[in-house]
Amino acid sequence: MTDLRVESLSKRFGGLRVFQDISFDLPAGGLLGVIGPNGAGKTTLINVISGRQPATAGRVILDGRDITNQPAYAVSRLGLARSFQQTNTFKSVSVGENIARAIRFGSRGAPPGLASMLTDFGLMSRQNEIADKLPYGLQKILGLVMSFATSPRILLLDEPAAGLERNERQIVDSFVQRVRQAGASVLIVEHDMDLIRRLCPRILVLDAGALLADGPPAEVLARPDVIAAYLGEEAA
Amino acid sequence: MAQFLQAAIIGLSLGAQYALLALGFTLIFGILGVVNFAHGGFYMLGGYVAYSCVALLGVPYPLAVLIAVAATAALGWVFELFLLERLVDDHLATLMLTLGLYLILSNGLLQTFGPLAMEFRFPVSGAIRLGPVYVPQENLIVLAICLAAIVALWVVLYRTDLGRGLRALADDRAVAMAQGLRPKLLFPMAFALATGLAGLTGALVTPILALSPGVGDPVLATSFLTVILGGLGSLQGAALAAFAVGLVEAFCSVYFGGSIGALILFVLVLLLLVFRPTGLLGRTVRGA
Amino acid sequence: MRNRISLFGWPELIAVLLLSCGFFVPMFTRSVLIYSVLNQVFIGVVAAQSVWIMLRMNLLSFATPAFMALGGYTVAIAGRYEITNAFVVTAGAFLVPALVAVPLGALVLRLRGTYFVLVTFVLSEIVQLLIFETPSLTGGSDGISGVPPVTLLGTDMATNRQVLQFCCGIAVLATVVTGGLTRYFRQHFAAIEENEILAESLGLVVWRYKALGFVVAAGIAGLAGFALVSMLLTAHPSSFAAAIAVDFIAYTIIGGPTSILGPLFGTGALVYATNLFGTHGQYAQGLYGILILIVMLVARGGIVGTVGLLFNRLRGARR
Repeated sequence: MTDLRVESLSKRFGGLRVFQDISFDLPAGGLLGVIGPNGAGKTTLINVISGRQPATAGRVILDGRDITNQPAYAVSRLGLARSFQQTNTFKSVSVGENIARAIRFGSRGAPPGLASMLTDFGLMSRQNEIADKLPYGLQKILGLVMSFATSPRILLLDEPAAGLERNERQIVDSFVQRVRQAGASVLIVEHDMDLIRRLCPRILVLDAGALLADGPPAEVLARPDVIAAYLGEEAA
Repeated sequence: MAQFLQAAIIGLSLGAQYALLALGFTLIFGILGVVNFAHGGFYMLGGYVAYSCVALLGVPYPLAVLIAVAATAALGWVFELFLLERLVDDHLATLMLTLGLYLILSNGLLQTFGPLAMEFRFPVSGAIRLGPVYVPQENLIVLAICLAAIVALWVVLYRTDLGRGLRALADDRAVAMAQGLRPKLLFPMAFALATGLAGLTGALVTPILALSPGVGDPVLATSFLTVILGGLGSLQGAALAAFAVGLVEAFCSVYFGGSIGALILFVLVLLLLVFRPTGLLGRTVRGA
Repeated sequence: MRNRISLFGWPELIAVLLLSCGFFVPMFTRSVLIYSVLNQVFIGVVAAQSVWIMLRMNLLSFATPAFMALGGYTVAIAGRYEITNAFVVTAGAFLVPALVAVPLGALVLRLRGTYFVLVTFVLSEIVQLLIFETPSLTGGSDGISGVPPVTLLGTDMATNRQVLQFCCGIAVLATVVTGGLTRYFRQHFAAIEENEILAESLGLVVWRYKALGFVVAAGIAGLAGFALVSMLLTAHPSSFAAAIAVDFIAYTIIGGPTSILGPLFGTGALVYATNLFGTHGQYAQGLYGILILIVMLVARGGIVGTVGLLFNRLRGARR
């Protein structure tokens, strides 16, 4: 059974092609990494799949149901949640209120394992603190936990480790494992190659809006065209 | 036929006035992202400054118009630099600030000059025969000055470094700043340029129409209308829409009377805002 | 974690209690001036609450006069057909604008920020022009005069005292509705105000709450128009000019947008000041302008927010 299937998805802004003809499957319980140089269209891919921006062509299918261009709230209510690259919380209210809103707006009740996640990530003891006053890393982790608090079946993570300290990145590993233990599949867009190698059995490589490679990291990252795409970025 | 020509000429001369107002308004929105609720206030202020110079100080009218332009531009510059600049990225806050300024301006003028209309006449009168119709000379003079001002504005915006800087800021503030343009310097200038245009229009037009503390409200409404029709932030759109609005108003008042023309325009604007916020010309504009 | 829903909090309770004091004013005074000021306050509070509901979702609305006109003219036209029952006309004054707001909301709520402000301004201009263009229904530029007073349980609300108490009742009713709505959906409105994109991606159906707010705000504005017409016994286009939206926005912003007490204290303070400084309020607009600048530049919480801040600071200092 396939949970999420993306078929020939394309996105343009006016004359600017962001990505074209992207296809992949994310099976139930699966874990998929998406890498690519800056400007490869990774964040826009998440935006289009999650209904934040309309697709130009192609389809997004969730459990056999076409959800292309459904509004973001509808996609979320069907069980496909996403996190944001920048810290994204309700900044003026407490940690507890942030989590309460995520649970309430998600309308499927709190997922199993949420309480232990909050305790272990150090959020439970700070539940009365205002989100904006937390250290940056913890704000970012709060944003991740909020996306999980909606009880998704599929979670799209947009650079979860960006801006985190080295020791905080362990929390992202732990977060992804716990989300999968709760039965959800995960797609991670990430620049931290170590993290991708540690976590993902399979990765997609996006370059200049096209799907360059799809396979296990050891195999894919050894391919000359993939190396060239990354070297190109470093040279620029 | 004579009636038709008469309406067309009135429409064109209204259009030229609206264009001056709308160009300033859209300049401010395009460059600063600010909706200037005080635009009608600057128009009024321009009229009263020119009136005071002529009636109280005995200054010749052309010089009085220049003083009015300088005064409104200076006030715009100071207001932008010291107040608006602090909150320039907060749309609702800047809107409230300009609204506050408008209330202060219009009330200040009311307190100073009283509620009655001023005895303020254009120095030239009489009519010129153009084919079958007579056209008041003052309308032709105002039309000529407005058109000259529009051309001058075009030259400033498209042929000088200042204009290139302003347009770059309107296109993409982040990119323009990365290229070394300084909004702190250019924003007050853009605002002053726009308010100076409103002051010029006020000084030119109030002697023909009317000068009283209430004249700012309809000016603001017309500026809204024109700028939305033309596409918020678009200069060419604003200029074209201004002439369209002027002509529609002139023909409707000649052939239908009452406020049906205004009603049609406002409903058109409502539909445009909802379905095509980029205006009739469809140029992409900055998000709000 | 906490997920308690309550219909009423302290600010809502204080607002209702304060407004209810209006019922007892006639026991102490018969001053026409005091009655007139209080009526202005009641009408202003209701209209400001209509602005405030939308401001809870970061939408600044200039449409209040449009919906006030709908409510006011509904009552005036009902009076022509001798429909004066207080419950019927109150329901009509709320429901007619609210129903009109349903399709309008579907159109204008697609817009955000500056564009929403502009479209609501245009809406008020359109309603004003429509009144002029439909003289057979609305009396055109003459308006509808001689509107019969409403009847409550068989009594005409005709004396100064009765009009005052009736306006007071409308203000209390509007506060209960506004307070109930914004308290019940506090989390939703606050989430939309602060981060609409995040709220939507968590699954909140944002348009539903915006539409609900818009419709209720229209109904509340209708009640304000009703109160205005029942005080003047006239429905006149000048009472609903687009420019008066500025007054209600000033009341809300200066009072403070964070709590329902904001529009209440803002209206009370500004209406009082207007009557204090000039017999015909000729300084009022300039005063509003100066206060708006002060609030935007140095005291974003308005009266209520600033008093709250000072109170907390005093309490902190004592510890």
